[in-house]
Amino acid sequence: MKNIASWILRIFTAVIFTQTLYFKFTGHQDSVEIFSALKIEPSGRILIGILELVSAILILVPGTVVYGAILAWGIMGGAIIGHCTVIGFEGDNLSLFLLGVAVWVSATILLVLHRDQLPLLRHMFEKPNSSS
Amino acid sequence: MVSLSVDLHRLSKFVNLALPALAVLFFLAGRFLSFYFHFFTVAFLFLSIVNYFYLYVQTEHSLLRNFGIVAQGRYLIESVGPELRQYLFASDTEERPFNRVERAEIYRKAKDIDSASFFVSLKQFDSTEIKIRHSMYPTDREDLIPYSLTYGEERGIENAYSITKPIIISAMSYGSLGRQAVRCLARGAKMAGIPMNTGEGGYPKYHLMEGCDLIFQMGTAKFGVRDEEGYLDEEKLRDLAGKDEIKMIEIKFSQGAKPGKGGLLPKEKLTPDIAGLRGVPMGKDVISPPHHKECKDKSTTVSFIRRVQEVSGLPVGIKLCVGSFEEVEELVGEMVHQNIFPDYMSVDGAEGGTGAAPKAFMDRVGVPLIPALARVNKILCEAGVRDRLKLMAAGKLINPGRQMLAFALGAQAVYTARGFMLSLGCIQALQCGQNTCPIGITTHDPTLQRGLDIDTKAMRVRNYVHNLEHDLCELLAASGRRSFDELSMNNLFIPEDSTLAPLLEDPRNLAST
Repeated sequence: MKNIASWILRIFTAVIFTQTLYFKFTGHQDSVEIFSALKIEPSGRILIGILELVSAILILVPGTVVYGAILAWGIMGGAIIGHCTVIGFEGDNLSLFLLGVAVWVSATILLVLHRDQLPLLRHMFEKPNSSS
Repeated sequence: MVSLSVDLHRLSKFVNLALPALAVLFFLAGRFLSFYFHFFTVAFLFLSIVNYFYLYVQTEHSLLRNFGIVAQGRYLIESVGPELRQYLFASDTEERPFNRVERAEIYRKAKDIDSASFFVSLKQFDSTEIKIRHSMYPTDREDLIPYSLTYGEERGIENAYSITKPIIISAMSYGSLGRQAVRCLARGAKMAGIPMNTGEGGYPKYHLMEGCDLIFQMGTAKFGVRDEEGYLDEEKLRDLAGKDEIKMIEIKFSQGAKPGKGGLLPKEKLTPDIAGLRGVPMGKDVISPPHHKECKDKSTTVSFIRRVQEVSGLPVGIKLCVGSFEEVEELVGEMVHQNIFPDYMSVDGAEGGTGAAPKAFMDRVGVPLIPALARVNKILCEAGVRDRLKLMAAGKLINPGRQMLAFALGAQAVYTARGFMLSLGCIQALQCGQNTCPIGITTHDPTLQRGLDIDTKAMRVRNYVHNLEHDLCELLAASGRRSFDELSMNNLFIPEDSTLAPLLEDPRNLAST
């Protein structure tokens, strides 16, 4: 059960990331506009794109799910901040914002599901050692 | 005058406030200066949430609950403590069970490089340690009698087994060791011409692969030769004993590291392969009972020894760690009464090692080797049956000096397990029960076992045996004797306060301080 949920969320996150980073790397007009509004065009666009790629890869590799999820959580946190403070929610931006929130929520759930692998926190969630 | 200091209490309070405060500051900077600052906003937001968990959610760790993320510093540094101590801070003579000086001697012997000490020994030279007496008239090397020991000759059995080197690889099961390590040792044993004890790990599939002589150990759970209730399955024993490589059978009554406890293979190390060879279920610690189901008292124990001798047709030994000398006396008395003797008796010192055992057992239970061996030898002599069986010793006998003590106290051959692990390159990481052995010896993880190259390590095993034998011959010659049989306690310098002192027959040999 946990495994299936985890895989669905991981694939969902990775697919959204690969899709949007395609627009970022090819310099799609919408993407360029958004990053111009944030005043970090073009280097910020490329940097975020690279981070999304890394996150998508990490999240698909079983041993590194939590690291990918932390990265995704952070990137989407930034995206939400961007929408709330600069970009706003008009037109296409609303659906982009909702997509960002969806990925952020998915990353959060992944972190909860894989909490026993979290760096710094995992020992809290380990089952007590039985013997020997 | 104000001296510099760090108040960790105040530092942690400061950090606990600073994390969310920095998140807010970076948010403002991101809003008004450059969006790039939001990279820090989210990072500090994450750390603040983690810290919130430490302070208010988790209840396991008091330190984290009181001080938050700063307290992780303690756990972080503590976690690398063992490595730091071994690499940098522990002195050459203080590590346990074997210190760096002792380990280095084995490594050098295994690599066949000179293991001479220089300038001085780091041992104690006050009156607390037992030393070996040398003679003014050492034996010439050519006068030494070549070593040979024949198990089973007392009973005149057809399958009597002779060894020509006094060192045997002690019991290590496939299970406690990984398959690669088992094969390194087995191939090394074959090259060195010594037998190897299989340990109580069931059917010795990997031990058999290299064609070396084997002593099959039957533990209290009788893995490999048990029926469903844990009693001896004679058919299986007969089959196993019929194999060419199996030269002797050893009934293990107790083990120095955990006498009275049976055995334990942690579930972390249980693989389907092992479960199959042992005939046990997956996912649970494999626990051997504290005693053989057949052996309830001295008379059933002695009868059981006879039964195994008859079924297997091989020399049959017993291995035990001594708890009470009275019990040993009674057991020997019963042997005399029934006129049944095992072909050898192996005395395991309480200092013996193991993959996993409860700490109290490892630390506190059992008589250490030196007094145990000396008393058992005396008991056998006094009963007049010393010539009815062979006596062997085990328990930290990794170097020729200590092995020599065992020979002087009556042993006719010595067992060592950890000596051979060191010869494979064991760095004493003390993780034998966790399946994480960094050298790949006590693990079933193929990525860790990759470190052990069978050909290279088998050569190390051979070199180790060769160099031990060489040193033992020199020690024997120095003591003015021609064979180990001629050694006695009189060849030892025994301090007055030693547990051995009361056993000395000639008080003139007691070292007075």
